[in-house]
Amino acid sequence: MIRTNLKPAVISAVVVVVLSGLLMGVRLNQDGTNLTLVGAGPDVYWKIAIAAAFIFFYNLFRDHLAALWKAMPGMPKTPVQLIEASKKPILRRLFWCFLIALAILWPFISNRGGTDLATLVLIYVMLGLGLNIVVGLAGLLDLGYVGFYAVGAYGYALLAMYFDVGFWTGLISAGCLAALFGFLLGFPVLRLRGDYLAIVTLGFGEIIRILLNNMTWLTNGPNGIGGIPKPTLFGLEFSRKASEGMQTFHEFVGIDYSSEHRVMFLYLLALLLVLITLFVINRLLRMPIGRAWEALREDEIACRALGINPTSVKLGAFTIGASFAGFAGCFFAARQGFISPESFTFIESAIILAIVVLGGMGSQIGIILAAIIMTILPELAREFNEYRMLLFGLMMVLMMIWRPQGLLPMNRPHLELRT
Amino acid sequence: MKMAHKKALSQIITAAALVGFSGYSLAADTIKIALAGPVTGPVAQYGDMQFIGAKMAIEQINQAGGVNGSQLEGVVFDDACDPKQAVAVANRIVNDDIRFVVGHLCSSSTQPASDIYEDEGILMVTAASTSPEITERGYKLLFRTIGLDSLQGPTAGKYIAEQIKPKKVAVIHDKQQYGEGIATAVRDVLTEAGIDVPLFEGVTAGDKDFSALIAKLRQANVDFVYYGGYHPELGLILRQSSEQGLDVRFMGPEGVGNTDISAIAGEASEGLLVTLPKAFDEDPKNADLVEAFKAKNEDPSGPFVFPAYAAVQVIADGIKLAGSADTEAVAEALRSNSFDTPTGTLAFDEKGDLKDFNFVVYEWHADASKTALTE
Amino acid sequence: MPESLYYFLQQLLNGLTVGSTYALIAIGYTMVYGIIGMINFAHGEIYMIGSYIAFIVIAALAMFGIESVPLLIFAAFAISMLVTSAYGYSIERVAYRPLRGGNRLIPLISAIGMSIFLQNLVRIAQGSRDIAMPTLVTGGIDIGPQDAFHASLSYMQMIIFAVTLISMVLLTLFISRSRMGRACRACAEDLKMTNLLGINTNGIIALTFVIGAALAAIAGVLLGMYYGVINPYIGFMAGLKAFTAAVLGGIGSIPGAVLGGLLLGVTEAITAGYFSTEYKDVVSFGLLILILLFRPSGILGRPEVEKV
Repeated sequence: MIRTNLKPAVISAVVVVVLSGLLMGVRLNQDGTNLTLVGAGPDVYWKIAIAAAFIFFYNLFRDHLAALWKAMPGMPKTPVQLIEASKKPILRRLFWCFLIALAILWPFISNRGGTDLATLVLIYVMLGLGLNIVVGLAGLLDLGYVGFYAVGAYGYALLAMYFDVGFWTGLISAGCLAALFGFLLGFPVLRLRGDYLAIVTLGFGEIIRILLNNMTWLTNGPNGIGGIPKPTLFGLEFSRKASEGMQTFHEFVGIDYSSEHRVMFLYLLALLLVLITLFVINRLLRMPIGRAWEALREDEIACRALGINPTSVKLGAFTIGASFAGFAGCFFAARQGFISPESFTFIESAIILAIVVLGGMGSQIGIILAAIIMTILPELAREFNEYRMLLFGLMMVLMMIWRPQGLLPMNRPHLELRT
Repeated sequence: MKMAHKKALSQIITAAALVGFSGYSLAADTIKIALAGPVTGPVAQYGDMQFIGAKMAIEQINQAGGVNGSQLEGVVFDDACDPKQAVAVANRIVNDDIRFVVGHLCSSSTQPASDIYEDEGILMVTAASTSPEITERGYKLLFRTIGLDSLQGPTAGKYIAEQIKPKKVAVIHDKQQYGEGIATAVRDVLTEAGIDVPLFEGVTAGDKDFSALIAKLRQANVDFVYYGGYHPELGLILRQSSEQGLDVRFMGPEGVGNTDISAIAGEASEGLLVTLPKAFDEDPKNADLVEAFKAKNEDPSGPFVFPAYAAVQVIADGIKLAGSADTEAVAEALRSNSFDTPTGTLAFDEKGDLKDFNFVVYEWHADASKTALTE
Repeated sequence: MPESLYYFLQQLLNGLTVGSTYALIAIGYTMVYGIIGMINFAHGEIYMIGSYIAFIVIAALAMFGIESVPLLIFAAFAISMLVTSAYGYSIERVAYRPLRGGNRLIPLISAIGMSIFLQNLVRIAQGSRDIAMPTLVTGGIDIGPQDAFHASLSYMQMIIFAVTLISMVLLTLFISRSRMGRACRACAEDLKMTNLLGINTNGIIALTFVIGAALAAIAGVLLGMYYGVINPYIGFMAGLKAFTAAVLGGIGSIPGAVLGGLLLGVTEAITAGYFSTEYKDVVSFGLLILILLFRPSGILGRPEVEKV
């Protein structure tokens, strides 16, 4: 067996050297105005050699390794009792209550950085849930979701800049504006088949970004819009000094000012929005439109045969999904105080899509988990700054190869015959 | 135990103790300075300049005994020139209880981050953000060791109007705060001086292909072009202009004045006019410092290297003068004193900007050297 | 001839130059999609790697004192195509083959992840700065009057046209005349059936990736020399444009990819030349959306009937 594997092993080792030798083994160096090459240093050579050796031996002993892998006990499977228990509705309700309670208590048990990070996680959860409607439930491949996110953020920012709109009005308007864009986009792309839809939505996302970047007269172009007002609690501002005619929160309640309050308030606000989102989506899932989305994803032609109008279903998915992105965008703009087109690139769409797929398409708890992982991992890996994005890309590939159904695939409500 | 082993063991223990104790004392007596800027992302090269300047300053100040007995420690944070990451970095800096920041680099990052720093009482000195808007908000803890866009433009415009006296000038910019701001200022000065500006257009930063623009310039028959922006785009414009037969003189702000532009444009960069602050790395006073950079294989000629060095230095000197690391006291000290740095004698005005910052017009050469044309 | 005509000619030539490079990269997208129905997001990064290898090779040879420009260019082409083919093959083997035959989204995410991985790999290996190379091929011809506005066509542009044309011709001959080309066509028609007939479909798919990568390498070398500046981020935009071009021309159709590429390049140049440089990308994507609205399968694509 080793002899038959020898040739592929040698070939793959050579391939590794070819792949990395030139690209990583030497470094282009701009020496003044000349272009020269320098060796990348012995540690890079060693890394290449080790990688080649590893691939060589892996291929050589591939069969042995595969047998070994099978013989191992394997990943710990969740005990049967836990699976049975998770199906009981009471326990599920308890679980959710526990989760929500933990979420509410979080800002009080964690420090400022932790709360701030959690707010970011919540924004991505909202985005993930919104995209989940389009991709996970309705099965429409949307690669330009960040466009709606940008519409929501800029919508609020522009309204605040030109019309002095407050946060809450801005929130509703941003959602409606994004929904409108979703509707307008949905219209022409409905007839397109899966992959074409993906391309068009990708193009749409890019168009929005480029327009925001170039329409300097409206959006300030690459310089972004600053001074976006932060959200208020029934008119109470969370700042050191109140602006004209307003009162500050700490004066009202009678405590000392601490910038932590604003961070906590923003977090709780985000949590509120996420809970509303979860509630709304759960309701929708049990309504006919939710069923229609899932039917559409499974088989569009059968859908049509059953009398469901795929056009209006798709349009509904797009619009509702877009509105959630709009809400998230508005909140994002308010939290940052400053937005620019750089925050709304295709990579954002990719990250949100990765969250949906990682979480298990359609599964809401999975998406929450995935959002937490995707947001926290880059923060934890800040020490490996250089390698952060590299590991992110690698992780995306590996996750797809090893667990494509997602972390917590959706459990469709179904009936089982028990004999 | 054998004698040799015992000796070795005691040596190890002593060494460990020393390291342990010195580490402890270092930890107790360091003043941390956050260095915020792009480590990754498309403008990482500018972040590089800021980091090497600041790190060199920290190293040299520490070697000279530190500040009031404490050593400085630089902590690098990556914001990738993205406002969203800049806010995250700012929050982190607040969390890590760091009181001084050198950065950020991009004006679009500095602006939202400064909101957080001001609120939290953190002192920030930026060595590269040139947008005037940043200091317009009345913040007390914000300072700059770099000139403003609003100064460079008129200098360039005046030079063109008085020395070059062209018939038609095209003004191009990259639509960003820095480039467009300077370009607009130049255009206004030129129009006031009665010079015809038939073309005022923006290109997208990051673009590679300027043949359409160059054809337009050729058709408009201009004999001088001012470009507001950075060297990646102007370098390509110069290169493609010479390939496509556009034979005019170009001028640009300090963002184009570095060796890379000659690497990109080659011969075409000969004769380019650039407004720069007086070249810090060519000042004979700074010869030692330049040697120190070269010894570490670092390039001291980037426009933000010396301002970043100066930024760290004014923070250190400010702490010394104020007698404490309390940011408000240091801010007061910065505002009421002048400081002798490699970028000249610096004094700050009420808004935190440098009181005067002279730009000089240079003629650039294909081998990346330059000659001063004005004083 | 009036000046405006020369101006138009100039913009046209510029557009065709860029368009040819889009075409070269677009073919890679369209071939892969035609056979396995997958959008290879990492293809743009392959083009970027091709550029980098070209620069490395030329810098290396220059350091050894080799000055002959044709030799430098030839070496750049040869080695770049070799390395990128290895990349194309490896990526298919590692990231796509295990995911074939399932939900369409899974390989797409894997491709996006691969694209991010490659981009950062090069960034770590070579730095994120722009790297510039002196112009190797200078000079050109002028079309039109010397003293008024005239169109100029550089030798580099002529090389781009020539190489693109030769590559197209060779590829078409390969696809239409050779046995493997026939196998490729068969796979594009019906993969399962071809497999049943005994053709090694895995090998053909690998071959498709390799050909696509080689063409992307050619584009990388050409554009690297033409613009003279590269950085790890050029793959994304180029990939996006080329992808747009492939869809424009009808994804799955090789002549479509070429047509789409040229059309896109010319549209961009005309927009930039007559309207505004700022919105040329918007116009490109807008064109894509328009075509897809009225002719969803692209210009030369075959309308596909979805079978139950």
